[in-house]
Amino acid sequence: MADETPKSFLARIQNIDRRVLYALIFVSVIVPLFLPLKLPVPVTPETQNFFDAVEALPDSSIVMLPFDFWPSTLAETEPMAVVGLRHLFRKNCYVVGLSNVGMGGPTIADRLLDSIGGEFHKTYGVDYVNLGYKPDYRAVMLGMGTRISDIFPTDYRDTPLEELPLMRRVPNYDSVAFIFIVSDNVAVDYWVGLVNARFGIPMGAGVTAVMAPKSLSFVQANQLVGLLGGMKGCAEYENLLERPARAIRGMDSQSMIHLLIVVFIIMGNVGYFASKRRVPRS
Amino acid sequence: MDSIWTQPFFYFFLPAFFTLAVYSLLFKDNPWFKFAEHVFAGLSAGYYAGLIFTSVIKQQMFVPMLSSGRWDMLIPGALGCLLFVRFFPRIRWLTRIPLAFVIGTTAGIMFLQQLHGLILPQLQSTLLPLNDLSNIIIVVGVLTTLVYFYFSKPHTGALGGVAKAGMWFIMVAFGAHFGYTVMARVSLLIGRMQFLFVDWLHWAQ
Repeated sequence: MADETPKSFLARIQNIDRRVLYALIFVSVIVPLFLPLKLPVPVTPETQNFFDAVEALPDSSIVMLPFDFWPSTLAETEPMAVVGLRHLFRKNCYVVGLSNVGMGGPTIADRLLDSIGGEFHKTYGVDYVNLGYKPDYRAVMLGMGTRISDIFPTDYRDTPLEELPLMRRVPNYDSVAFIFIVSDNVAVDYWVGLVNARFGIPMGAGVTAVMAPKSLSFVQANQLVGLLGGMKGCAEYENLLERPARAIRGMDSQSMIHLLIVVFIIMGNVGYFASKRRVPRS
Repeated sequence: MDSIWTQPFFYFFLPAFFTLAVYSLLFKDNPWFKFAEHVFAGLSAGYYAGLIFTSVIKQQMFVPMLSSGRWDMLIPGALGCLLFVRFFPRIRWLTRIPLAFVIGTTAGIMFLQQLHGLILPQLQSTLLPLNDLSNIIIVVGVLTTLVYFYFSKPHTGALGGVAKAGMWFIMVAFGAHFGYTVMARVSLLIGRMQFLFVDWLHWAQ
């Protein structure tokens, strides 16, 4: 016979069906999509410093933008690449794109460079280039310090580099004024540890939130000029650029879910400690 | 005219279908999820094979050899082929030649990156004047955490107290990592929902 003893509220909140939790999270995400709350997104010093460093670049500087992210983290990284490209193209910077992630990286780079380049009427080969992907990012990063065409004889579209007007001006890192890294993996450690340490090029990084705590140590050590930590950091950058986009729109859902998770944690702990108190000590 | 890849079916309907198929696992395991999983595994393998052939074997070996007469490219090509002789027991030992090359260069690069690029700058950034609360927290945090990982003496007495303080700093770091990880995972969900409700269905803005 089934146990029909009515369970207490405290016992019940410790045994909520996970599908109920999923449903609550789902509702918390989609409600702000339909009814935007427009919660404020204050700017942190790391984002402000990053923005200021890009803003301080002379117009028409050459900037390298590695699209070092997998398609699985597009929700966080794509808005960073978009906001970075918009800022750079607005300043008429020349952008050299590449990817150290084979799975989708060069394709995403091509799509975003064309789409944002199109917004600013930029021309492929003249204002921006996509070098594509080569395996072993350590060798790629170090090799580009000597001669980029040794590592990338052709661009992603199979055009020899000497036929691209922009790449004739960029033989190696000497011509690169800044590196705007967008990464979801350990490649950012190598950009810092190999390229910044050896060639001294200033760089900033937009990383996924998972990587942000570790990457903050690079900012503290002045190895990165600034950092965009996940969707929040990107939303701050969008604010500074005065071009609200995906990240700002996602922050309402982000805040709602964080509140919900705080409630879950409090409920779980209250239930746990209260049920512990009820068990008589032997 | 739009190419087939930018038409709505491939750009919106197909990703939406696979998103829903993967999320269906949240309810319970089912054939749609399995289908999506297998398609992903197969696609990834095929994509990588094609990408590596084009970006390495073709662009960096065949093209320089055939168009510029760079026949020295045969050397790395031959070293790469030697990696596969491990399938033939009698000449398996030849695999050691390319492996030695890979291990040697990787060790050299890693040493440079870790010491010159990470350890020394990070160490330098903890040598701070103790005139600011943040600086004091950084210095105390680094020292107590290092003591926590000192295992040559039992963590008792004063050493135990310092190690315990180090443990608290580590706990705070774990908490920060956990919080950021939650934020990252939630962001991925938000991204998919934005795709479904904004890009695909146009129900929200």
